[in-house]
Amino acid sequence: MPSAVIAAGATNGVGFPLLTCIVALPALGAAVLACLPRARGDLLKLVAVLFAVASGALSIWMLAEFDTAFDGFQFVSRHQWIESFGISWFLGVDGISLFLVVLSGVMFPIALVAASPKQDQKSFYAWMLLLMAGSMGAFVALDLLLFFVFFEIVLVPMYFLIGMWGYGNRVYAATKFFLFTMLGSALMLVGILALVILTSSNTGQGVTFDLVELAEAQGVGLVAARWIFVSFALAFAVKVPLFPVHTWLPDAHTEAPTAGSVILAAIMLKLGTYGFLRFGLYLFPEATHWFAPLFLTLGVVGIIYGAVVATMQRDLKRLVAYSSVAHLGFIVIGIFALNAQGLEGGVLQMVNHGLSTGALFILVGFIYERRHTREISELGGLQKSAPILAGVFTVVMLSSIGVPGLNGFVGEFLSLLGAFRGARWWGAVATLGVVLAAVYLLWAYQRVFHGSPEGENARLRDLSLREGLIMVPLVGLIVFIGVYPRPVLARIEPSVDALVAHVDAHVEDFEVEEIVFDPLPEGNDDAEHDEEGGED
Amino acid sequence: MNGGVDAAYLVLGAVLFAIGAAGLLVRRNLLVMFMCVELMLNAVNVTFVAFASALGDIGGQVAVFFVLVVAASEVVVGLALIVAIMRRKPGATADDISLMKG
Amino acid sequence: MIGVLARLAQDTGDGILVPAEPIQAGVTQIATPEIQWVALLPHLILVVGGILLLTIASLFRHRVPRWAYTIYTVAVAAGAIIAALPLWVRVQDAERGPFSAIAGALGVDGFSIFITVIICAGVILTALLADGYLKREGIDGPELFVLLLLAASGGTIMASANDLIVLFLGLEILSISVYVMAAMHARRFTSLEAGMKYFILGAFSSAFFLYGIALVYGASGSTNMIRINQYLASPTGVVLSENGLLLGGFALLLVGFGFKVAAVPFHAWAPDVYQGAPTPVTAFMASAVKAGGFAAMLRVFVLTFGTFSGDWQPVVFALAVLSLLVGSVLAIVQTNVKRMLAYSSIAHAGFILVGVEVATEQGTAAALFYLAAYTFMVVGSFAVITVVGRKGDGHHELSDYRGLARRQPVLAFVFTILLLAQAGVPFTAGFFAKFYVISAAVDAENYSLAIIAMVSAVIAAFLYLRIMISMYMSTDSEAVTGEPDRVPVPLAAGIALFVACVVTVVIGFVPGPITDLANDAVPFLVQVG
Repeated sequence: MPSAVIAAGATNGVGFPLLTCIVALPALGAAVLACLPRARGDLLKLVAVLFAVASGALSIWMLAEFDTAFDGFQFVSRHQWIESFGISWFLGVDGISLFLVVLSGVMFPIALVAASPKQDQKSFYAWMLLLMAGSMGAFVALDLLLFFVFFEIVLVPMYFLIGMWGYGNRVYAATKFFLFTMLGSALMLVGILALVILTSSNTGQGVTFDLVELAEAQGVGLVAARWIFVSFALAFAVKVPLFPVHTWLPDAHTEAPTAGSVILAAIMLKLGTYGFLRFGLYLFPEATHWFAPLFLTLGVVGIIYGAVVATMQRDLKRLVAYSSVAHLGFIVIGIFALNAQGLEGGVLQMVNHGLSTGALFILVGFIYERRHTREISELGGLQKSAPILAGVFTVVMLSSIGVPGLNGFVGEFLSLLGAFRGARWWGAVATLGVVLAAVYLLWAYQRVFHGSPEGENARLRDLSLREGLIMVPLVGLIVFIGVYPRPVLARIEPSVDALVAHVDAHVEDFEVEEIVFDPLPEGNDDAEHDEEGGED
Repeated sequence: MNGGVDAAYLVLGAVLFAIGAAGLLVRRNLLVMFMCVELMLNAVNVTFVAFASALGDIGGQVAVFFVLVVAASEVVVGLALIVAIMRRKPGATADDISLMKG
Repeated sequence: MIGVLARLAQDTGDGILVPAEPIQAGVTQIATPEIQWVALLPHLILVVGGILLLTIASLFRHRVPRWAYTIYTVAVAAGAIIAALPLWVRVQDAERGPFSAIAGALGVDGFSIFITVIICAGVILTALLADGYLKREGIDGPELFVLLLLAASGGTIMASANDLIVLFLGLEILSISVYVMAAMHARRFTSLEAGMKYFILGAFSSAFFLYGIALVYGASGSTNMIRINQYLASPTGVVLSENGLLLGGFALLLVGFGFKVAAVPFHAWAPDVYQGAPTPVTAFMASAVKAGGFAAMLRVFVLTFGTFSGDWQPVVFALAVLSLLVGSVLAIVQTNVKRMLAYSSIAHAGFILVGVEVATEQGTAAALFYLAAYTFMVVGSFAVITVVGRKGDGHHELSDYRGLARRQPVLAFVFTILLLAQAGVPFTAGFFAKFYVISAAVDAENYSLAIIAMVSAVIAAFLYLRIMISMYMSTDSEAVTGEPDRVPVPLAAGIALFVACVVTVVIGFVPGPITDLANDAVPFLVQVG
């Protein structure tokens, strides 16, 4: 994807900087909210939703204007930010980030509508809008420092959302979340600077934080690239989260308010997997290739571990949280299979997981609002008292399990297909995760919805119109992508193919020995794991 | 450049400086601690003069005057502080001024 | 002073520094140097402004309203900044460049002007802050403002000193003024205690510093930095390990600087003094005093002793690492907010020391940027602490901040921004401050220091989170029992807070101009030597 190609795709006939508007609108909304009176809760919500919808609508328009055949970055907008350091406001989307932007544009308005903060609504909506601006920015940033800035800034709104509007142990969860993710990304800043400065001194060019230039230059040596990749990978692994560094996630998810959980699951976790693709694979093809067995292993461990732990949960929300760990594992093995199917599946699965887990969190939130408990043992027989709720829950749950005909199947299937082609044994073990997902979700469903309701469960209200309307777009998308994924895949494909070609070209450049994905000697893998473990 | 220095003066300066520093750390009486600071400054003066005379350079001797002026200003401020403290807590020592801990 | 210093270096008249010939003993004629008054103007404005205020206040006691002192101080500091601007233009002019005033005693270069402006900004903010504070605490008199201006002049002299003795004088003018300022709130014993502690340890460190000067003088034959630099770089070769005087001089100077900038292990005074001193004075200590100390450190070590950077770098490395880790770790176990920020300022000193350690132009520029950004962040933070401290300046426990967000959302929000800036969150000045320092370290291939610095930043982040938790996330049951009342925010303090907050955020979005200034301030520092 040379720079010349980017320029050609520049603005796609949209006469104004579309991406800048998508990022700036929510931030502007937050500023507007700050000026509104605190007491007018309805007005505050209306304004917040309006700004989120406006930004979301622009992202849909972008989807419509997106040039399917073009594999480079589109809607590029670029301005100098800090000239002496070669840092610019450089935004653009390709097939990989396109649907993540659209997903953010869809999920944020839904989360805002679904939210019902108990206190200080003004701050709540303002933080949500800032979170939206930050996530959008992170998905479209093509300048390393700009990406880092957005990647970091999303912590602050999320911290306040969990800490101020969360449940029980919220302060602990919020602090843990903040420190974990900040520690992860702290070293990435050193990595970014090392990459930029080493590239500049090796190529003799000026200092630049331009992603495309850096990726095309491949200006750092083999060993340095691997070290820098480690610093990047740590940040992304915490965000995903991968197995040993996932412990912040169940706490944060469980204690966060519904809107926070939805965004956390649907959008923020994707920053990690997206980071692996855009800033791991693209910048360090060889290092990614070299470390692939490690991350495949961690992904598989995450799938199995998440599923097993989810099975044992008594708290419905915690169960969904652990199911996220498992699902993100599929995305990771899809990505690190390093072939077109796996990557496509990974990207698609990011969107699917956002839709289905986001929807699950909203539904769990509905149940909590009615029963003020999330204990599975306290619930039961809800199918009788709230049939519509149960129906919607079934669809979403089946999508999460990966039943054919719903979106989860397509993504998971492609990921696993990629894994089988590239890394057979990991793929085989991962398939086990699909079965386990069915086990914990169906079992939970059985305990919560089947049986005969007693006490408060019997008097449970069914979905209201507002709640129903919230679920309509989510269920619609779940079914649509499941039945007819072609339009989505067609947009993802060119960029993924280009990325795979980029990786193949550069891995050959380095002329490393081919890594054998087939039956891997156990000892070899362990040794790598230990080496990496020391680094963490 | 320091070939011409009489080592004895430098040793004297160093010893005086060490006595002052040690005294400051060991003694608890504010006034004595204060005198120790003066001792340290004057130890430096001895050193300056020794170097100046060996180098045949007047600069070092002039530095002594500056140091004297500075020492005098420190006396003014230091004594005023001690007086203020003694008014609040007669007979205070360094151990008495430790309300803040942590 | 002027006549004597002329012997150390003679000015050729057009301002270009030319070292004097070695002077024979017994020469009686003293050459009178041309004094470039314009170069002295910022210092003179501050000194004369301070003395004039003292005179006026003594003559017309009780007849001048209190706010007039504040406005006067702000005007004087602003005047010093304005006087510095033409100098900046002159220094940046490629043909004229940096020059020396009073025959090499003071150097005027981008560096000294940059620090002068930082210090004057610190004075302005502190003066605004002190206005409401003095009224609330019922402290009479304009002495604080006089001392503020004199201390600032000491700081600017330190930043411009081209001679170690002048540097020492600047240091003492600064320190002695601040000793008194720390003890200003004489009715609070903790304030006296802070003043006394600061005085004893300050005098102690000054003595070390002075002894270091004496030894360097003995080794090199001059106190003039240019002469010292030439001696160190002399082709005959100076071997540091064989030169005990020089080695001892370096070490003692480093100890002296270590005390002044509160680097671990010379930090023991800082928490007590920061906690005990009147809060506006603490703000001044954390901003302007630190700026002066680091300015002198950069000038002496990076510029003058630059030839031997390999020898002092390991020591500064250790100071930086210790300051970063000890500062941030001890900060998070405190319960007094003033003490927390005292320890956090030690950690910030560690970050600036990273910029010193790399001993490159980039490192110096990064340190300058950090000082500029930190001045606004820290004065703003202490402004909030001043306001929340209430009458008696004693409500500084974490519990005093409980529920602040509910009672005074704007104040809490401003404090949040300043704290996040100190934590280094993007879109604040603090982020770019850290970014430049880390990039200077990475550029010097000093990866270990960069990594340690970032890890310590995360540890320190917990400290800022603790304060925010107290403000925002105290549970309702806690809030009901014994929730304090609203605290009034005086107008002047409000202005200071607003300025600090706006500058912090604006630099966070548009760091370019300050970056360019900091970069321009560097090369000339190196050229003077």
